[in-house]
Amino acid sequence: MRRAVSGFIYVLSGAIGVLAFVYPFFAQTTDTALGQAPGQNAPLWTAALVGLSVVALLVEVQGQAISAKTVAMLGVLVAITSVLRFIEVAIPMPGGFSPIFAPIILSGYVFGGRFGFLMGTFTILTSALITGGVGPWLPYQMFTAGWSGMTAGWLSHITQPVTHSTPHDLRTRQPTARLTWDILILCAFGFAWGLLYGAIVNVWFWPVAMGPAEQSWTPGAGLGETLTRYLAFYVATSLGWDMARAIGNVALILLLGAPTVRALTRFRHRFHFEVQPYA
Amino acid sequence: MIRFEHLTYTYPNASRPALADVTLHTAAGAFVLVVGPSGVGKSTLLRCLNGLVPHFTGGTLSGRVDVAGHDPVAEGPQVLSHVVGFVFQDPEAQFVMDRVADEIAFGLENAAMPPTEMRARVDEVLDLMDLTALRDRPVETLSGGQKQRVAIAAALAFRPRVLVLDEPTSQLDPQSAEDVLQALVRLNRDIGLTVVLAEHRLERVLPHVDHMVYLAPPSATEDGDGRVLSGPPRHVLNQMDLTPPLITLGKALGWEPLPLTVGEGRGFAQEVVSGSRFQVSGSELKPETLKPDPILCVKNLSFAYDGVPALTDASLTVNVGELVALMGRNGSGKTTLLKCIVGLLRPQRGEIALAGESLIGQETASICRRIGYLPQDPDVLLFADTVAEELAVTLRNHDLLASPPIAPVDLLAHLGLDGVATSYPRDLSVGQRQRVALGAVTVTRPRLLLLDEPTRGLDYPAKRELVRLLREWQAEGAGVLLVPHDVELVAQAADRVVLLSQGEVIAGDAPEVLTASPLFAPQVARLFPGTGWLTAKDALAGLDVQSDYADQNPMEVSGEDS
Amino acid sequence: MLDARAWLLWALTTLVTASSTRNPMYTVILLLVTTVVGVSCVPDQGGRAPLSPLRFATLAIPLSAVFNGLTAHVGDTVLLRLPDWLPLLGGPMTLEALVFGAMNGLTLTAIFGGFAVFNQATPVRDLIQLTPRAFHAAGVVLSIALTFVPQTTRSLKQIREAQAVRGHRVRGLRDWLPIVVPLLVSGLERSMGLAEAMVARGYGATSDRTQPLRAQVGLAMGLLALLVGWLGFLLRPSWREVAVGAILGGAGIIVGVVWLAGRDVPHTVYRRRRWNARDALTVLGCAFTLAVFLLPLPLMDRHTLSYSPYPGLTLPAFDPLIGVGLLGLLGPAIASGGGQANHARSPRSIGSERDA
Repeated sequence: MRRAVSGFIYVLSGAIGVLAFVYPFFAQTTDTALGQAPGQNAPLWTAALVGLSVVALLVEVQGQAISAKTVAMLGVLVAITSVLRFIEVAIPMPGGFSPIFAPIILSGYVFGGRFGFLMGTFTILTSALITGGVGPWLPYQMFTAGWSGMTAGWLSHITQPVTHSTPHDLRTRQPTARLTWDILILCAFGFAWGLLYGAIVNVWFWPVAMGPAEQSWTPGAGLGETLTRYLAFYVATSLGWDMARAIGNVALILLLGAPTVRALTRFRHRFHFEVQPYA
Repeated sequence: MIRFEHLTYTYPNASRPALADVTLHTAAGAFVLVVGPSGVGKSTLLRCLNGLVPHFTGGTLSGRVDVAGHDPVAEGPQVLSHVVGFVFQDPEAQFVMDRVADEIAFGLENAAMPPTEMRARVDEVLDLMDLTALRDRPVETLSGGQKQRVAIAAALAFRPRVLVLDEPTSQLDPQSAEDVLQALVRLNRDIGLTVVLAEHRLERVLPHVDHMVYLAPPSATEDGDGRVLSGPPRHVLNQMDLTPPLITLGKALGWEPLPLTVGEGRGFAQEVVSGSRFQVSGSELKPETLKPDPILCVKNLSFAYDGVPALTDASLTVNVGELVALMGRNGSGKTTLLKCIVGLLRPQRGEIALAGESLIGQETASICRRIGYLPQDPDVLLFADTVAEELAVTLRNHDLLASPPIAPVDLLAHLGLDGVATSYPRDLSVGQRQRVALGAVTVTRPRLLLLDEPTRGLDYPAKRELVRLLREWQAEGAGVLLVPHDVELVAQAADRVVLLSQGEVIAGDAPEVLTASPLFAPQVARLFPGTGWLTAKDALAGLDVQSDYADQNPMEVSGEDS
Repeated sequence: MLDARAWLLWALTTLVTASSTRNPMYTVILLLVTTVVGVSCVPDQGGRAPLSPLRFATLAIPLSAVFNGLTAHVGDTVLLRLPDWLPLLGGPMTLEALVFGAMNGLTLTAIFGGFAVFNQATPVRDLIQLTPRAFHAAGVVLSIALTFVPQTTRSLKQIREAQAVRGHRVRGLRDWLPIVVPLLVSGLERSMGLAEAMVARGYGATSDRTQPLRAQVGLAMGLLALLVGWLGFLLRPSWREVAVGAILGGAGIIVGVVWLAGRDVPHTVYRRRRWNARDALTVLGCAFTLAVFLLPLPLMDRHTLSYSPYPGLTLPAFDPLIGVGLLGLLGPAIASGGGQANHARSPRSIGSERDA
């Protein structure tokens, strides 16, 4: 019963996120309540709705209490990820590359979906606080980063990989083949989420750019044309950025992923860190 | 006050119990000292007092624990936090907030204490631990000793009945350790707080200890009872094997009542020396038979961090087969000197030559083919999956994998690690991990070894192992430059001592530095001034006493490195 | 110094205001107002903005203008004509479209500028205290993260040195492995020690606990209402009011659950900031601005808010009363009396100031 309700919450929250991404394509008339000009407040409402979705999910994932171990681990991992951003400076990579996504995905993979979600949201939040990047784009960033961690956690449940083997297994046999497959899938995750992150975060000002009805679309103009415009918008503004991010994620996970996962898994066994069964 | 009855505890997935049938009883207001080698269960025992075992660690526990009327196992750590305050070993890993006052208030906030009362408590506790001046300082700017005092203050904020500390000074330098221990003694004396302390540095606290608990390693005894010795300090010390040099001497020479401090021992010592039966022979230190053949030659080295001078005209030499100890107060530039030698820092002036070849301007990676440098925290080196892999990594870095200067298998055997060659390094004990790190830096067969405080956190058997290894390397012709963490190690292992003060070398040769200077002298030297004896072994040999205790080197005792 | 909550309200007000109008005159005034507040309230070394608003403007406005000019083909004044066969780009490029794009960029700049001031004016510690009680754990995680950043930086340096000492050279991405893995593992080991210390000091849970079932159900219901309401709003214009009601209802349920969850967390605050007159002044100013922009009050010509350059470029209308409404956002600047800019703060200082 509980699992059903939890699952329901995840589905609904995800649906709100998807809708936030997709709604401009459906809006045939725009907000004329309160006598405002069309298309004005849409981004605000959307941001608020996505924000509420994140809040609800956080309450659900956090549960009534998070153990001290989880809190401490999250805190330290978030600190490490913030510090690792300086790798960016050391390796000249274009624009959107940010080394915070690979750790989120890998942590979610090793420690479970819930942990991954918390890790994603808190990393973004802390980064925003430290670098002064708080703004209306924050709910989208948190939403996406959280989901990237969560889905990585689901992957580990689906494939039952090395992370679920016992310490004895780790000592006696080298977990090569399984891990390699999973790493490749995680690379794909990294790529996909790298692009998605940019696409979703763009949503916060896409409606602003859309403008009044007479410019952007005529009622019933059709999904196709609106989609095309959005695609153009996306390509123009952030595709380059997002490609850099996506490729960067792939590179990090491919090159550093396997040993990191092994080290994290061993840590997990050593400290008997139990992963909650749900999510 | 504290009562254990037939306590048996096993960690999850462990084959043997960590604590077997422990029965103990201590009175209120006592200063309890818990001693024993590493890994024997001291930490586990302490954690039973506030319920961390078994609530935090898992595992199975049987028997009864009673602390001031509370049952930690039944009530759990959250309730016990008001009765038992706990301070941990690592000053870096205890703080949640970044300001001192906020950190102290953290626990109180979680207990939902009213703000006015919180302020009162915070002020009270800052005053008690003499930290009022540091109230708004960021925690990262504090020294290790100050951090531990803040941790104690945070534990005291609940006004607990018992304060428990798990090796609080093992990561600290001698001066900070001194401060912390003094604070504890004051707390015990002035406000009658029951203190339970697990420690290696006994000398400072022994005179104040009311009750001592010794946990013996399981192999040493047959039955369960023998594993725990408990009672007044002298009683327990008499039955223990590994004791500070003073105590060892006292037991060997039959001094009664057993002196606990150098002050108490002086009377006995003078008696012994003035007794005409015993001859006082000269220094037992290794005579200079080796022709000085310098491996490392440092001349007039000067280094400044952003204009603040750290080293001024420092010069020293290390000869083949020699172990030189680099001593000095905290902040005198020892680590800076080591870093300059390996190229991590570029000195502004001066010369560094290894076997005649200048090292200035070379890259660290190439310098370290010929110099092995063991950093303060060897754990930072370890990242591979197995021990053998760690060695291979270093070889690969230097492109020596195809033709290693020493076969890794041999090196592992030499280090006593052949049994664990396929183990994950971080699963090993502290001493083993250090040896893995040593292996990783010596696999290139360096001619010079630099060790930065290698005995931090090591217990006696591990230290003995280390000294043995160093001596073997010295015999093979390597030179060793060591920055020591405790004086007794220097007394046992060093051939020469170089003293650094504020970046300048006030050199000397052992034994004068060690025996003449009241700051650095080990216990035996202070006990028998003018004889040149540095260890209990020296003294017993000099006094011609045959004793079972002669071979036992002393446990770590902090010198007065203040 | 203002309370962080007041600043947050201020930032949100600029957001709402900027989004409510397309009239570039108002947007420009808004920009000026935020600049004034920024100059007077932000300490000289407030270096926490990733990008200064000016630089943002130089990027956003031209980019937006050009994008819109190329893709929207409506308007009277044609500047040049791109071949029709080009997908999406083909057609006339009009001045109106360019202007519209530029206006978008201006709006974005205003939003960005408002939040930049917010970010720079509030110390991070105060922001953490803003987290609602229900997310107390999040606040603790953030505190720990901030506390551990300097230590982690030191650790990173130590590890790099240690690896250099065994011959390691950092040449490519793969060479970061011997640095990243010890950093992670040592950090995690430290975190276990930290967890122990937290539990020993009475921090709640030793294991995770889930929400009571009714809270979960409440969340699910709330989300469902939000989703259904939104879908209804978008797809069925005739049910507009019902949809809005559903959205508001769903939001209310979620907020209610959060509030109830907060009450379950036992927690008091050591450093409490007192609400003072300056904060009240700021709040009043924001309320004034919001009222002017959102409520249909008499005497104001609300049509000036919606300006469109199409079909032909005209001068935007301007209502001075609404312009005055924008001045309500000057609250923080007045409250601080202009003296805050002289506060010398160390660049690394991220703690909260003591109560005045």
